[in-house]
Amino acid sequence: MTDREALACAAIARAVLMAGLLWCVPRRWAARTAIVGAVATSGLAVAVATGALVDARHPHAGNWIAIDAASGLLVGVIGVVGLISVLASPAYLQTVTTALVGERRRATTYFAVLYAFWAAMLAVPLAGNLGTAWLLIEATTATSALLVGFSGKAGALEAGWKYLILTSVGLGIALLGIALLAAGVPGHGLGALAWRSLGTYASGSSSALVVYLLLLAGLAAKIGWAPVHNWLPDAHSQAPAPVSAMLSAALLPAVLLVAWRCEQGMAPVVGTAAARGVLIAFGLASMAVAVPFLSRPLVWKRLLAYSSLEHMGVIALGIGFATPLAMAGVAVHIVAHAIAKTLGFAAVTPLLAHEPRAAGQPVTGIGRTRPLLGASLALSLGTLSGLPPSPLFASELLIIAGGFQAAHAGPAVAATVLLALAFLGLMRALLDLTVGEKPARDTARPTGLRGVVALAAVSGVLLLALTAAAVWLPTTDLVRALIKGVS
Amino acid sequence: MNGGLGWVLVGLGLTVLVVRRRTIAVGAVTGQALVLVGLAVRDAGNAGDRLAAVALAARTVGLAAFFLLLITRTREAGPIRAGVAPLRRGGLGMALALVLAWLVPTTGLTSRDAGRAVLALVAFGLVVAATRRATLFQILGVVLIENGLVLAALQLPQTSMLIEVGVAFDLTLIALVGGVFHHRIFAEFGAGDTDALRSLRD
Repeated sequence: MTDREALACAAIARAVLMAGLLWCVPRRWAARTAIVGAVATSGLAVAVATGALVDARHPHAGNWIAIDAASGLLVGVIGVVGLISVLASPAYLQTVTTALVGERRRATTYFAVLYAFWAAMLAVPLAGNLGTAWLLIEATTATSALLVGFSGKAGALEAGWKYLILTSVGLGIALLGIALLAAGVPGHGLGALAWRSLGTYASGSSSALVVYLLLLAGLAAKIGWAPVHNWLPDAHSQAPAPVSAMLSAALLPAVLLVAWRCEQGMAPVVGTAAARGVLIAFGLASMAVAVPFLSRPLVWKRLLAYSSLEHMGVIALGIGFATPLAMAGVAVHIVAHAIAKTLGFAAVTPLLAHEPRAAGQPVTGIGRTRPLLGASLALSLGTLSGLPPSPLFASELLIIAGGFQAAHAGPAVAATVLLALAFLGLMRALLDLTVGEKPARDTARPTGLRGVVALAAVSGVLLLALTAAAVWLPTTDLVRALIKGVS
Repeated sequence: MNGGLGWVLVGLGLTVLVVRRRTIAVGAVTGQALVLVGLAVRDAGNAGDRLAAVALAARTVGLAAFFLLLITRTREAGPIRAGVAPLRRGGLGMALALVLAWLVPTTGLTSRDAGRAVLALVAFGLVVAATRRATLFQILGVVLIENGLVLAALQLPQTSMLIEVGVAFDLTLIALVGGVFHHRIFAEFGAGDTDALRSLRD
């Protein structure tokens, strides 16, 4: 086992052990134990990411573990988002009045399941073969469904149920694709489903296309790509805010990486144009479905959920274009989206404490009643909308330029129009949020605001750094490594 | 696998699609799983295969007991009627199975009959999940798809035992989480009926 593999295993094992430990600790120690463990787990994940990104030219692709630039990027994102979610959880738990489990076991169960979810999610980008990746994605479904329904309220049960059934059925379809793929690939065991083996599928290109479509259609249900995205707004809006951050900022792109690896692996047998065309179609469809919702007043968490739909579409488009410009855009987009979305969801707990009606109606005038909270929310929304100097503006520009570079002028133009419409919709929400009508009655003092403001300050610096990085990224080894993948 | 066994599996799948009583549907998916356990034991060539067969048997018994426990704990006042009539559900399932068979003419599995049975079970599972209102039936739809995929795994020329055991474990976990939700939905709404789950809209 190489050092990098050992480090990757340590990060995952650490999270698994913490899940077990948190199940056993007395409830008064749960939050502190979880936070200490999260710092260590996140540190290991960032170390894995740093190693993979610094040495991007030398990916490791075994049957069990694959560590390359893409997995490094995702493991880093998942590590940091997980840490922030754990840090934000005690404030959330203080607000909980009902839950799936009794009060005595509430905190320990929450943190144990959260860690199990985090562990499975950390392992998804590192999976060295499609079979293991599928198992890990399914494990994220089982754990995160419990978290989505954690409050036990009617809406949470509805959202958790939809999430569980729709994604399980989707993953069942993907598993059918995996079974058919395994039947057509020479060799046996884990090696037959290793990423580099997918291109050896030998049952003909038309069968390969069917297999590829089954895989992507199944994974699309979990990524939240339109038209199989129905669970996404409900789950994001009903889950505890720290869990919504993990779902949106970390889980969706992690599963998207699996779809990306399928595209890279199967392109030689399906045909590069067809393989990428499917991604472009999912990308445009997701953006087109998201735009009308982004243009109307929505509850804050649902607004962020539809924004996830849009951004997963943008990333799919970038992967489908697959030029150095587009890939640089994808890398920046994944990281910037994660930062902005984590901040947006982290701000939910103080927002609801300040203005409880925000749980059921669009937020307005927060910038006038609580300027620091309003600024934090505005930083998140401004970044997600692509307002310059947001790195998402730079990444979207790179992806569209990549589309023209790849001679996909039609999809690039369509994406430009959709992005402009989404921008206008989110700008209206941003104006309502900051300078809109003040709440009619006095509102309460927000709890946990100090942490969110600190997070906003750090996020602001990181986002500006990302915008600067976007300029030189297209010519780096990182982008070349992303295009090459592990296949 | 011979054609007769394939028909038995498909027939039991069709039963889940059309019956109204939950106990009969649980019996049908359990019967299917037992047939699959029998196939797994018969074809086990090494220790890994035997371990996978044991995992499959444990999953079958565990899920059957769990579903029956759920049924006794969540007694419905009467069967929850699906929005689509039984005959129409059966027709939809068979039509989808035929479409899948047309889309995937060669599955690459060792038996052509098994390939068709796999596609039929996946199609029936999809239609059950899409057309049944009862939450327990929707979980059974997912289990039906799983059974089809277990059959596919058994009929692959070579598979990884670890993947097979992992799939059995994962899908059991999903069914268990589904059961927890079913129980809570019953407690919250007084019925395991997905018609009650329509409040979240934009």
